[in-house]
Amino acid sequence: MFENPEIAIDQIPHTEDLAWQKLHPMFARRVRLQALIALGVVTIAIAALHFVPNLPVVLILLLYLLLVIVGAAILIWPGVSVPRRGYALRDKDILFRKGVIWQSVTAIPFNRIQHVETSSTPLDRHFGLATLQLFTAGGSSGDLKIDGLGKDSAENLRVFILGRTETSIERA
Amino acid sequence: MNEPDSTTWRRTSPFAILFFIGRILRLIAKNAWQSLAPLFALLVAYQGDLVSKLALGGIAFAIVITSASLLSYWFFRYRISADSILIRQGVFKKKQLDIKFDRIQGINTQQNIVYRALGLVTVNFDTAGSAGNEGNLPAVTRAFADSLRTRIGSALPDEEEDKPEAETQTASLLRLDWRDMVRIGLADRRALIVFALIGPLIEQLDENIEEFVADFVKAAAANGIHFDTASGVSIGITIVLALALAFILVSIAAAFLRYHNLELVLDGRTLRSHGGLLTRHEHSMDLGKIQTLRLQQSIVQRWLKRYRMSARQAISGRKGRRGKVFTIPVVTAEIADELRSRFLHPEAGRLTQDPYSSRFIAISPYFMRSQILFAGLVPALLAIVALWQTLGFTAFAFLLWPPMVAAAAYRNWKRAGFMHDNHEIVRRSGFVGYRTVALLFRKVQRITVTQSRYQRRKGLASLRLYMASGSVRIPYVDHEFAKRLRDFVLYRVESSQLAWH
Repeated sequence: MFENPEIAIDQIPHTEDLAWQKLHPMFARRVRLQALIALGVVTIAIAALHFVPNLPVVLILLLYLLLVIVGAAILIWPGVSVPRRGYALRDKDILFRKGVIWQSVTAIPFNRIQHVETSSTPLDRHFGLATLQLFTAGGSSGDLKIDGLGKDSAENLRVFILGRTETSIERA
Repeated sequence: MNEPDSTTWRRTSPFAILFFIGRILRLIAKNAWQSLAPLFALLVAYQGDLVSKLALGGIAFAIVITSASLLSYWFFRYRISADSILIRQGVFKKKQLDIKFDRIQGINTQQNIVYRALGLVTVNFDTAGSAGNEGNLPAVTRAFADSLRTRIGSALPDEEEDKPEAETQTASLLRLDWRDMVRIGLADRRALIVFALIGPLIEQLDENIEEFVADFVKAAAANGIHFDTASGVSIGITIVLALALAFILVSIAAAFLRYHNLELVLDGRTLRSHGGLLTRHEHSMDLGKIQTLRLQQSIVQRWLKRYRMSARQAISGRKGRRGKVFTIPVVTAEIADELRSRFLHPEAGRLTQDPYSSRFIAISPYFMRSQILFAGLVPALLAIVALWQTLGFTAFAFLLWPPMVAAAAYRNWKRAGFMHDNHEIVRRSGFVGYRTVALLFRKVQRITVTQSRYQRRKGLASLRLYMASGSVRIPYVDHEFAKRLRDFVLYRVESSQLAWH
């Protein structure tokens, strides 16, 4: 017979002293490279404007200025945001934190995970990275997605989590 | 027909044609122009007077619909295997539906007036993962539907423990009478929507109405009665009031059609409702599948001292699909609390969902700050800066906006609140009306604790509990409390062996 004694809310162990695992050190570099590629495309697009007749040069220069400002912000941002990201694995759940201005911690119990997915883009593979996605029920509103894991740790996590999702269930 | 054990493909009763006719008509109503265009073209091309044209059109329409329904009926076959029901349908595009018994969340039946005379029902399967696939079994006998129901019920592995209890307990929980129909009709928000829709239409009709009123005044004048401007206005008001009354009457009639004699029955762990004037609707839901319980009150309902109660089930994986909802259209707060304590029995149900309860704990008043700042002050200042050039000093009228937002934010904050015990949490919110949502901790899917910069300074956080039916947010509570509650909920989820779905 399954027993489930009552526990008062203040007797629960705290999540305070968690050892947060950092993402792969190459992740910030990958984000920056991706941003650089996007910036390159935009630069080419702006350069093409030179061939448009009757377009004031000032406008194009303004666009370049905007590009430099936005570009600098995009390249600096990963240095701030990536160290804030991390996950913590516990016996029965996984926690993921992120955010600089709006900081959030998401917790998913293993026995609620429906399936697990790992994926990697060509850029990810170049840096030896992978993305882990955890799906729960009713989750059209963004299930947990952990970018920038090392390829091996993503695979290990996947196996570890899958091993823990199988639970015996009684009907209510 | 009464024995669902057969393994051969079978057709339903020929009266199923009625169901297919209804389905085709609904399809046409949805895509009216595309479906009717060819017929209309034929009508225009045909030489002759209007009456014969219409008669021809009507006959052609009837022939097309009837033959399509006949074909649909002919190609509709079903089979019941050990663990699923298979449906094959489609005239040109063949479709096979395989509905596994353990995915069926509930069996609903509908009975229109013809079926009622013949003792037939249309069965509709509520499935967990496929809101898009319509699993309907038209025109089967009631006995067959009932045998399906018991069979699917026994396919679920829940019966072993609960059996003695489940078999014996059949309790009538609620029965609505004609006064409740009037209440449902009065509180029907669709009447308001209709009003909003016909608003522009009335404007178009305005001229005609004006003409009509003018004629009326003239006629009255001819009879020796004289109207001044005030009477003209009162005639206008009378017309509007008459329209409003007509809509209310229509909503009340609709309530009678849909909910007449609605009865709520608890059959073991299965909740059933049946009611309706012409077409009888029967819905069922397993109590274990409830994800959230809601109690809502609009302004009109506040005046009537009534609520609308609904139980939500898990949504399917598809985006934008809403989960199945079991609705009780009108209840009092006391009955709602009585119902919820039965629904959540034995693990929970000791809290109340009455929004006027004094047990609700307020959230932090800092909740108002961000609303006033980002919805009030910032837009107002931006508008003043942007429109200063064109409007001049008039632009300062935008300064009236932040106080309005502040008042709204205060109202929102006053109405926000929550209460919890060791098993469930109830959240209250509202602006015009009230809404309380209750959920069981053990059914939570995931939890997020979020802090903005400002919340960090004040030691506050917002908690969001994701259910399989959507999420419930508890904003601006103490950060330490949020974390403790999160860990407690996680503990409940992780130590629970019961199914969440």
